[in-house]
Amino acid sequence: MKTAVVMKMQDLGVGYDHKAVVSHITQEIRQGQFVSLLGPNGAGKTTILRTLARLLAPQKGTVFLDGKNLQDYRQEELARTLAVVLTERNFFGMFTGFDFVALGRYPHTGFLGRLQAKDIQKTQEALQMVNAADLAGRNFHELSDGERQKLLLARALAQEPEIIILDEPTIHLDLKHRLEVMTILRRFCRHQGISVIASLHDVDIASKVSDIVAMVRDSRIIGWGEPEDILTEAMVTHLYELDAASYDRWLGAIEMKGDGASGKVFVVAGGGTGTVIYRLLAKRGFAVTTGVIHENDIDYYVAKAVGATLIREKPLEYISEQSVARANRHLNGNTLVIDTGFPVTDLNKSNLDLLKTCMAERKHIFTLRPEAEARELFGDDYEKLIFCQDELNILKALASHN
Amino acid sequence: MKATQTTHRRRLLLIATFGAAVLAAMMLNTVIGSVHISLPELWSLFLQSSDSANADILWKIRLPRVIAAVLGGAMLAVSGLLLQVFFRNPIVGPFVLGISSAATLLVAIVMLSTLSLGFAGVSPYVNTLAALTGAYGTMAIILLVTAKVKSGVTLLIIGLMMGYLNGAVTSILVAFAEREKIKQFVLWQFGSFSGFSWHELFVLSTLGGLLLCGVYALSKPLNAFLLGEEYALSMGVNIKLFRFLIVLVACALAGLVTAAAGPVAFIGLAVPHMARLSLKTSDARLLIPGVLLLGAAITSLCDLVARQLFSPVEVPISAITACFGAPIVIGLLLKRKTSL
Repeated sequence: MKTAVVMKMQDLGVGYDHKAVVSHITQEIRQGQFVSLLGPNGAGKTTILRTLARLLAPQKGTVFLDGKNLQDYRQEELARTLAVVLTERNFFGMFTGFDFVALGRYPHTGFLGRLQAKDIQKTQEALQMVNAADLAGRNFHELSDGERQKLLLARALAQEPEIIILDEPTIHLDLKHRLEVMTILRRFCRHQGISVIASLHDVDIASKVSDIVAMVRDSRIIGWGEPEDILTEAMVTHLYELDAASYDRWLGAIEMKGDGASGKVFVVAGGGTGTVIYRLLAKRGFAVTTGVIHENDIDYYVAKAVGATLIREKPLEYISEQSVARANRHLNGNTLVIDTGFPVTDLNKSNLDLLKTCMAERKHIFTLRPEAEARELFGDDYEKLIFCQDELNILKALASHN
Repeated sequence: MKATQTTHRRRLLLIATFGAAVLAAMMLNTVIGSVHISLPELWSLFLQSSDSANADILWKIRLPRVIAAVLGGAMLAVSGLLLQVFFRNPIVGPFVLGISSAATLLVAIVMLSTLSLGFAGVSPYVNTLAALTGAYGTMAIILLVTAKVKSGVTLLIIGLMMGYLNGAVTSILVAFAEREKIKQFVLWQFGSFSGFSWHELFVLSTLGGLLLCGVYALSKPLNAFLLGEEYALSMGVNIKLFRFLIVLVACALAGLVTAAAGPVAFIGLAVPHMARLSLKTSDARLLIPGVLLLGAAITSLCDLVARQLFSPVEVPISAITACFGAPIVIGLLLKRKTSL
């Protein structure tokens, strides 16, 4: 079901004075949509937002709000349709949480701004919507950044707008408040039918809350669409020019790559047993090769995202001869091998054979497997394994080994 | 909600107290002086006309001064409040845009340069006229600049620079002036509410009253402006008009007082703080009456001290306002955990 279009940008060009920042934007925003602007610093996200909020005149093209040219709105009329949340959270003066949120009633009150019963009710509702009813009596200046941000959201809501435009609403917030702010914004969209347009820095959070993401780079919108559709590893890498990290569409997260300076390690994993050790090895700077991993395994996605060399197999198939051969070629150079204690089944028992070959070649194998299980799998040779209790112990063992 | 109502009632009570303080200060100022007028005598002087010396003192000296101090204090304090909100800066006062320095310069020209030879004997209002010309001339320039300059900080710096320029020219005039004239000029520079005529008071109260009513009408946008120009704009404030009005009113208020009484320092800077911190709100609808009454009361009391402290020598009122005000502001600020 498609909702009504609330905002429409037609060949919009934004910028300051005569300097164009982003040009040729033609897009629509619908009622209740959560639109995130992503992109590197200085790409023009704020400039776009300021233009959509009419804090800045467009250089070219037109913005339509409810079918009417944004520039034709009277100031109060616009304030009843569109609210903003800017990055500033320090304000001059003394007010309680309630006073602050009640300022949002401005376009609805009379000449002296006296609050009527309805205004008080709307203010209290707004406070409740952002889980800040307890902040009503507190002094604004004694609140934390996160609490202030909730009040800023409530203030915007108290304007009863159709659209709320937010510039980096999660900046400088702790994790709890960052997530809370996103939850609140999503609530605005779902329950109040408000369209939210926000610039965000966390790609992973944006992908999980947005209906639409807009990628801003090189004076253009290089992508506009549903995050499931357009937030691919290649797009995110290009958008931010990432080299030491990458975004994984399936994990919905950013993983950090290792620089490989600490040496080479071969990890035999599978069934999700490798995820923690991959990240840890990447963090400590090891060049990781791993295999043989099935393509539907979470180990596959994490290994790929941290930049490991992967020997892979098609999902739910027996590990093929070719894959084993490839793994062995990689193992040739590696003297350090990690066994993550993966569950052994018919599909992946070739991986067990890989380990046995390594043992025969007197390679150092660090394992997370319990000794009893190892004895069962490897027979008497099991004593050659280096047993480690957990991933951190493996790293310690690796360090002492080097 | 109940708690908000209690605090609201407490604030109204506090404002009423400020009002009572104004009346008390006025009363004290009327009876105390080098000649003491007892309350029964005061009463009879009010009720029936008399040719006694005390009647002269009351009607020609005391009362004009009492009213001038109250009016001037109220106007300066409100002017300071407006500019503090406008610049969202707590260390701003009514003279930050160069109002007093320009008035001082014009007065210096009249009093110190040879021009005075032609004027001084002609009219006692020459200083007042000169100061008014200086203050409103500056105001006109500032309003022109306000229309052009977008940032409040830029405007603030331009005001400060104008102040320095005016000060520089004034100092040159002082360097070349005769010694007796300098003393006269320096005393004017400290400001005083003495020597007001009823005619001056009429002008001051009519214009001042109109301006103060105008300020109250600006309460709503003033509150929105606390969040900064962009938020104010996004809430529906007509920023261009509002900027113009607020600078106009603030300068007009400060200019009127300065022209009549000289640059009385500190009231405009300190009283808004005192009112804000004691009322514990920035809501202009409460703060404006609070600042107005507190400004009147404090100025009136300071004037009393200035007159009586080393009687018969009169201390400049600016000295008293600063000695009074500075410790109070510092104390109030230190008592709070957070900054303004």
